[in-house]
Amino acid sequence: MHDGSGRIVVQNLTKHFGQVGAVQNLSFHVEPGSVTGFLGPNGAGKTTTLRMLLGLVTPTAGWATINGQPFNHLGNPGRVVGAVLEAQGFHPTRSARNHLRVYAAAMGIPDQRCDEVLHLVGLGEAAHRKAGGFSLGMKQRLALATALLGDPQVLVLDEPANGLDPEGIAWLRTFLRSFAGGGRTVLISSHLLAEVEQTIDQVVIISRGQTMYYGMLDDLRKSQQSRVIAQPSDPNKLVGALQEAGLSGATPTQDGKIAIPGVTVQQVGDVAAKAGVALYGVQEERADLEELFFRLTSGQYAAPQNPPQFGQLPPGAHGTPPGGYAAPVQLPQGAQPGGWNPQSGPVPQAPPPPQGYDQHQGYQGGQGGNA
Amino acid sequence: MGRLINAEFRKILTTKMWWGLMIPTFIVALAMAWGVGALTSDIADDVYREDFIKSAGIGKDSVSFGVIALTRAINISTMFPLIFGALALSSELHRKTITTSFLTASSRPALLSAKAITYVLWGAIYGIVIVLGASLGTLAGSDSDILPEGGQWMLIALMGIVSTVLWTLLGLGVGALMGSPVASVIVLLIYAIIVGPVSEIVLTGFADGKPNIAGALPNGSANGLTGSTAADLIQKQIEELAQGKPISDRAVDTFQAAMRFAAGAPGAFALWASALIFIGWSMLFFVSGLARNQRRDIT
Ligand SMILES: Nc1ncnc2c1ncn2[C@@H]1O[C@H](COP(=O)(O)OP(=O)(O)OP(=O)(O)O)[C@@H](O)[C@H]1O
Ligand SMILES: [Mg+2]
Repeated sequence: MHDGSGRIVVQNLTKHFGQVGAVQNLSFHVEPGSVTGFLGPNGAGKTTTLRMLLGLVTPTAGWATINGQPFNHLGNPGRVVGAVLEAQGFHPTRSARNHLRVYAAAMGIPDQRCDEVLHLVGLGEAAHRKAGGFSLGMKQRLALATALLGDPQVLVLDEPANGLDPEGIAWLRTFLRSFAGGGRTVLISSHLLAEVEQTIDQVVIISRGQTMYYGMLDDLRKSQQSRVIAQPSDPNKLVGALQEAGLSGATPTQDGKIAIPGVTVQQVGDVAAKAGVALYGVQEERADLEELFFRLTSGQYAAPQNPPQFGQLPPGAHGTPPGGYAAPVQLPQGAQPGGWNPQSGPVPQAPPPPQGYDQHQGYQGGQGGNA
Repeated sequence: MGRLINAEFRKILTTKMWWGLMIPTFIVALAMAWGVGALTSDIADDVYREDFIKSAGIGKDSVSFGVIALTRAINISTMFPLIFGALALSSELHRKTITTSFLTASSRPALLSAKAITYVLWGAIYGIVIVLGASLGTLAGSDSDILPEGGQWMLIALMGIVSTVLWTLLGLGVGALMGSPVASVIVLLIYAIIVGPVSEIVLTGFADGKPNIAGALPNGSANGLTGSTAADLIQKQIEELAQGKPISDRAVDTFQAAMRFAAGAPGAFALWASALIFIGWSMLFFVSGLARNQRRDIT
């Protein structure tokens, strides 16, 4: 039937809804054992792409395969790929457990598995409650439970963190890492890089239906330059001393400091000490990955750019932005990390990483599943 | 396929709709048969009181007018399984559960076929409930003299179940075609309760009461399944009574038309023709609903 590899291949995928070009000539692949982030702002075409991959939307052109097969050739697809999609519905008066029992029957798996996945996602105590009365986060957990029901090799998740509480997000992150660590495949979409940054290995960034970046997240990180911001007693003297030491490119910032690219704090301190310039403050600054992401996708409603090549940023997308390095990053509306930001405080304690997700049943209790 | 049918049964049994619709189905079948049975009994009483009928030696038990109560009750009650069928796919599209259903089925035609098989079985269950309600109502409301014999009763009951199954399937097809639960239920009810019956009377009026285009339409052919069976039965009994007496062909035709009308199937064709025509309609809607959903984008 299929090669069992768990590989996802998307090739030249294109979709037009009437006049609207939702996805244009998109290509990427996801290897088993890795988590790939699928990122783009609202309306970029993420959901449409994932739905084409899952056989729910017919592409205008191009194709997508899972395990080397188009979705509708998978036989019993629920056993191969599990999916959480936005606007995936539940019957309002059907209980969570009965919802799962329906699809367990469709996949031909025993009912006992329904209880397993309910406990896994922390809904054990809400099993007999009607899904219509669930909170957003509980619905998201139930969708996740449905995706895991068939013990699939591939997980496709469309903004799965929507509505999840911090514990839920931390758990999901740990879970996905261990899921991929066991040799399975995860493709996860988000409009927030920060939300998935700690989870993903590879990233596909799209904007207006086109690929803006496709490659390893680490390569994207390396492409950002660091710089040192210093507040010297005599800026001109320091800049001169730096130039003598072969460290050029220092520029004044708006608040009277100077910014020196590609150096370390130690180098600047040594030069200043030698030149007899007092330093009132010195710190290293790294461009936020999120800022880079924003720059990659902010052209969404501007003129189209040339399609980029594999692993490369589109021209002008990296390096020093013209607006001045220190200018505050302006995130697109709604892209500001909300109540939870992984970099801004201690991340809630996640349960110990499981080997395979069958061992995850204990999650529900102490770590605060919202059941 | 067995797995998907099992899943469809679970979908039905884990919500309240199946019995929420089944209770009114039974009540309407019972009440309608009871009322029509009582009315028919009254009319029969009046007829048999006529002197010329008495003098001809025609007994009250010679014609089974009670079948009219049976068929009328069956025909009206089929609107509930029709709604039940119409919601089968359209409510999944509306509630977006169709996404998960497609994600867990080997293919879309497999899912829709499993639905069709499941709803054929549920149509039969509704059919049995309808026939039971209609039979009890007929028994309770009619003079025992005008009740049909067991065999005739069974034939009409069987046709009632077949008709219910086909209505359910037709509803499934229309729901799948239209995609909206509200729109498909409204369209089907307006057709089955108003447009169908009225157009049948009008068309049959133009056709001098003979079987006509009305009997080839979905509602007309469905009614023909039960109505023609009843009308044929009554006519045969009357022909037996009139044996040896000179009766014109025209009188026979007129009488048959009148009986079809009374049985709720004006303009209908004979049983077998009605059956074939209605099967055709049900399949047409089911297959076009299937085709419509084969390429539907689920977004
Ligand atoms: N059924 C549809 N009919 C018409 N246009 C559609 C349909 N579905 C999506 N689109 C359009 O396709 C484009 C991509 O939408 P899509 O939902 O794939 O974006 P997204 O990246 O998932 O956005 P979000 O982050 O808001 O979920 C949008 O312009 C959207 O309006
Ligand atoms: Mg989306």
